[in-house]
Amino acid sequence: MDKIKKSDKGWKNGAAKSITFIVTKDCQLACKYCYLVGKNEEERMSWDIAKKAIDYILSRETEFPEESVIWDFIGGEPFLEIDLIDKICDYIKKEMYRLNHHWFNSYRFSFSTNGINYDTEKVQSFINKNRNHLSVGITIDGTKKKHDLNRIWKGSGPEKGSYADVVRNIPLWLSQFPHGATKVTISSADIPYIKESVLHLYSLGIHEVNINCVFEDVWHEGDDNLLEEQLISLADEIIEKRLYNDYACSFFMERLGKPLDCVKDNSNWCGAGKMLSIDAAGNFYPCTRFAQYSLRDKKAWIIGNVNDGIDYNKLRPFLTLDRCTQSTEECINCDVAEGCAWCQGENYDAADTPTIFQRATAICKMHKARVRANNYYWNKLFHQLESEGKQELYETLSYKKTEEPC
Amino acid sequence: MLKYLIIQLDDTSTSFCHYNNDRMTGNLIPIEILKEAIFWSMKENLTIQFLYPDYELPEEYKSAIASTFHADIVSSTCEDLPLRDNADVVVFDTFDNISDFQFNDKQSYAIRTMLSRLLKNANMLHAILPKVNRMNVIITDIASIKGEWENKYAEFLEKLGNKVLEEYKKGHYLQINLLTDRLLLDNMNNCNAGNESITICPDGKFYACPAFYSDKDVSYSIGDLATGLNIKNPQLYKISHAPICRICDAFQCKRCVWLNRKNTLEVNTPSHEQCVVSHIERNASRKLLSKLREIGSFLPGKEIPQLDYVDPIEKLLS
Repeated sequence: MDKIKKSDKGWKNGAAKSITFIVTKDCQLACKYCYLVGKNEEERMSWDIAKKAIDYILSRETEFPEESVIWDFIGGEPFLEIDLIDKICDYIKKEMYRLNHHWFNSYRFSFSTNGINYDTEKVQSFINKNRNHLSVGITIDGTKKKHDLNRIWKGSGPEKGSYADVVRNIPLWLSQFPHGATKVTISSADIPYIKESVLHLYSLGIHEVNINCVFEDVWHEGDDNLLEEQLISLADEIIEKRLYNDYACSFFMERLGKPLDCVKDNSNWCGAGKMLSIDAAGNFYPCTRFAQYSLRDKKAWIIGNVNDGIDYNKLRPFLTLDRCTQSTEECINCDVAEGCAWCQGENYDAADTPTIFQRATAICKMHKARVRANNYYWNKLFHQLESEGKQELYETLSYKKTEEPC
Repeated sequence: MLKYLIIQLDDTSTSFCHYNNDRMTGNLIPIEILKEAIFWSMKENLTIQFLYPDYELPEEYKSAIASTFHADIVSSTCEDLPLRDNADVVVFDTFDNISDFQFNDKQSYAIRTMLSRLLKNANMLHAILPKVNRMNVIITDIASIKGEWENKYAEFLEKLGNKVLEEYKKGHYLQINLLTDRLLLDNMNNCNAGNESITICPDGKFYACPAFYSDKDVSYSIGDLATGLNIKNPQLYKISHAPICRICDAFQCKRCVWLNRKNTLEVNTPSHEQCVVSHIERNASRKLLSKLREIGSFLPGKEIPQLDYVDPIEKLLS
């Protein structure tokens, strides 16, 4: 029977508190599009800092009232610090139990990994121990050609791609996480390989491909047209082969490309400020993207530390951010504004002054190209379904567009 | 729209606001820059406010200043006594010897003080009220006002309100920023640095206000006379782009963009303490309005509604 697979909205529908440990700023890879400009081998989190952070957070239930929590581990490559992570997770579980904390039994440990160490004994032992409270995403960018274009091993000498070192672990990963999704990043050079890459990932058994263009100002003249061509070609293939039944690609979304209202649709896109990140120095950040190793031109936005706690005044701007206050008139009045994403950290880094209230617009023409391809995808899909007498399938997806655009 | 240009004449010029000017070494603005700044302000149709150092200015500076409409802001310790006695605003950094000062009803006065010192010297302030028509009290440690200090501040304002009430009963309608400004306002009347006013400092550069020159932690300029004014993200200095302030009715709040930047890292976002202090003042104004109406008709039609919050972010997030 036909169905349309929807993208997973995340555990607890994205409503859980996300707490990120930046356990290391080191990685085996040196991906060309990586926004982490300050990676290094020195800044590794100590157990003392990790424990202080956990103690601080778990002893303040009223300050962290969210029903659930995602303990997120990031790097660099988090699994480089699997011993520390294992100790952290054991301690979290023990303390949540000892404190009868409201997060006990409503937590996840979450990882986004390059997949290289995935099959090691220590990582596998950790996965087996925490299987019921775990989500792991392996990043694989598509075909060998596309993956190796950006995701290369660090070090001097000739460039060496990492595709082979990752793809060998995909079957094991999918056997443990059958609904595992991968995250694909698009920069200018790899636009020509989008279609074949998404299809390749589907062929590996990955049913959900989350894909996005980088927010940085890397785009060249004509990239938008190339993206549109790739996505339209991908749309044809997905529809023709009815891949939409079992596979999802986040480039194609029902809610995309409509005008937005400054009253009704004024939410901030990004969750920065609602999250909490901790680095090796014990500093707190509103999101990992505000740590110094993520920033090209701006000072880190530190909101406290494990010793002194959170300075809530430095969180206030994040809590008050809305779409229209940070957007240009062009963005506010854009006819295809819906779904146009931004990264608060990139906004801050690219802004003319040290502010999070200036939206970066480098992605504008890429979003518009995506909207055109997306319109094509749904029009074609709907027409095909209608001609086959399956209107009910897409009627479940329809939604009211904004009635009073601002 | 710009309306005012503040010219800080020297690195040691008096602060008249929340910031501290810790510079101890004199560095007078070059006379060419002063003349150019005056010329520019005349073309831009801006009113100039001069911030003076304590020492007497050279004659050529005095004559340059006298060449245009302006307001003078001086310290109570200014050695140029004719200037001090005729200045538009006299600023006190301490309560020491304040009772000996010859106040007059033509000048406005400002007292810069930490809250603890203000509370300790409340009687001195009360004693001054009959002698002045306009008094600004500027608290220099707003960020540290929390917990019991909030209650102490509210009690202080209640007593101050009673003193103001006594003056009004005598027909002396003095203004004191903490209490009477809110009575008279229907909209936000903030400092508006970076929007309605800018500052030029002895280095020849523009700043949103003198605090952005004095405080090296947050210092940044917004252009210079040679290349012109260059305010980046100018919308962030406007009330329209201040999510908390635009829904707030503590109209008397200074909405100090320097304090905002220092405490929340954003010029458009006040700290929790700033909001609480402003609401304590607003609520004290509300009480004063009620008491004033017991002695006669006062501002008919004006209402200051009761609120169930002291920080408007609660309203925003509810």
